[in-house]
Amino acid sequence: MSDIAVKVSAPIALRARLNEDWLAVVIGLLVFGSALVSISGTDLLGWAVTTSVYTDLAQALNPFAKAYGWLGGGGALLATYAALLVVLSIGVVTLGADVRKFALAFTAVFAIAYASWIVGSYAYVAAVTPAEQQKFGLAWSLKLTNEGGFIVALLSGLVIANFFPRLADWLKEAIRPELYIKIAIVILGATVAVTAAGRLNLASSLLLRGAAAIVEAYLIYWAVIYYIARKWFGFSREWSVPLASGISICGVAAAIATGGAIRARPAVPILVSSLVVVFAVVEVLILPFLAQTFLWQEPLVAGAWIGLAIKTDGAAVAGGGITESLIMAKAAAEGINYQPGWILATTTTVKIFIDIFIGIWAFILGYIWTNHIDKGPDKAKPSEIWQRFPKFILGFILVFAVSLWLAVGSTPQIAKALPAAAGEANVFRVIFFVLTFFSIGVLSDFRKLWQQGFGKLAAVYFVSLFGFVIWVGLLISWLFFSGFKPPLVS
Amino acid sequence: MSPPDLKNEINAAEVEPLLPIEKKLIGWSLGLGLALLAILIAVNHFVPIKL
Repeated sequence: MSDIAVKVSAPIALRARLNEDWLAVVIGLLVFGSALVSISGTDLLGWAVTTSVYTDLAQALNPFAKAYGWLGGGGALLATYAALLVVLSIGVVTLGADVRKFALAFTAVFAIAYASWIVGSYAYVAAVTPAEQQKFGLAWSLKLTNEGGFIVALLSGLVIANFFPRLADWLKEAIRPELYIKIAIVILGATVAVTAAGRLNLASSLLLRGAAAIVEAYLIYWAVIYYIARKWFGFSREWSVPLASGISICGVAAAIATGGAIRARPAVPILVSSLVVVFAVVEVLILPFLAQTFLWQEPLVAGAWIGLAIKTDGAAVAGGGITESLIMAKAAAEGINYQPGWILATTTTVKIFIDIFIGIWAFILGYIWTNHIDKGPDKAKPSEIWQRFPKFILGFILVFAVSLWLAVGSTPQIAKALPAAAGEANVFRVIFFVLTFFSIGVLSDFRKLWQQGFGKLAAVYFVSLFGFVIWVGLLISWLFFSGFKPPLVS
Repeated sequence: MSPPDLKNEINAAEVEPLLPIEKKLIGWSLGLGLALLAILIAVNHFVPIKL
């Protein structure tokens, strides 16, 4: 996704995506492994910065661990920035990026994104319950929870993209939402496992229902949207395949994978990807609030719906995080305190299940196209399934499996210490979410997309999304998840 | 190809009629999808979520 605005070569984009996947696995495992060391009593990541809801800015920032209290909030922020700068700079060198440009741009990206996160934690923005408002002496607040900072980061990015295009262009080396969200998803494996370990029956039931998401995305959404694009809007096959994949499966990755599979010209899936990002921005600004208003009594339906309706990994998983905060806040105001993690885990499960099959679907389309439609010497090969498989999912599965084993299959002492270690890793998950939201905003230059002739493409997206995808997703989520609530805080 | 070329191409492209193989792909996808969803709904009914 980070390449959309600047590159139009599919081979380059595909290669970058694959490398970005492995890089996300390495960095995600580095964070997870470092956090796990804390179980042995040596805290390697306790200096990471956290932000509390505040009215006095001096009280907002703190290191995660009290042992690092001597650093202070400012010191923790600088340490977190420096660590991310070093690790990500080394990482992007492997992608062939200009490290000097990246370092300068990342400094600005981190500064603006984290400042947005701090603004989002201001009590007038974040305080939710009457008790919180009373604690801070407030007569009113926006009640966005502190995860409203994601929305602030997204809006900051949108302002830069649409009003300061030169700045957006200067930042582009560090605008890598796909990399950031993939790292976050790998880290998220630990939190999901700790959450699941508390209720293994419920967790396994959620996995079974994730299968419905695969059927819906690949077999129902794709077929209908492909038909709409071809029959109603008269798009060629070359445009319709990436368009249907982008809208129905998983935005950027699916559009590029299936576009490559049918041997579309490189620029086609890249431009479709840009459109997907713009619509994801619109969705993430609207759907979590609709979910809070209409689905707060069905939290798991809301989580699954967000995973099915928002079509990029970044926006969907981060949107699940916002939805969880908003619904938990509303439920808390009604005296119901759900355990955190279940709504986000449902969104993530749905999204990961959908992602797993991208390679297989791309191969099926490639086989049909190269053998029946555009017959030529360049036939689709089974090895493309692995080539197009989103590798960061392996990182998520590994982190999930190790964490689950530590939670239920190791000693009670380790099981007891694991949630704190996962919490420490989660600090970085949140930071990568913030970077993702800001980056998505910076990529969304609405004016530029309109100039590039997106009106007709956007019409297909609009008709499909609001006429079909959102409602069918809601129906399926309701059929499979209604009536089941996350466990309550004991 | 630059984006402006694509803009003209999108707006001026000739309609390609649906080939039989495309109709088959759409029909089989939808049919299989609806059948699998029905099975999953049945499984969901008989194996409810365990809390």
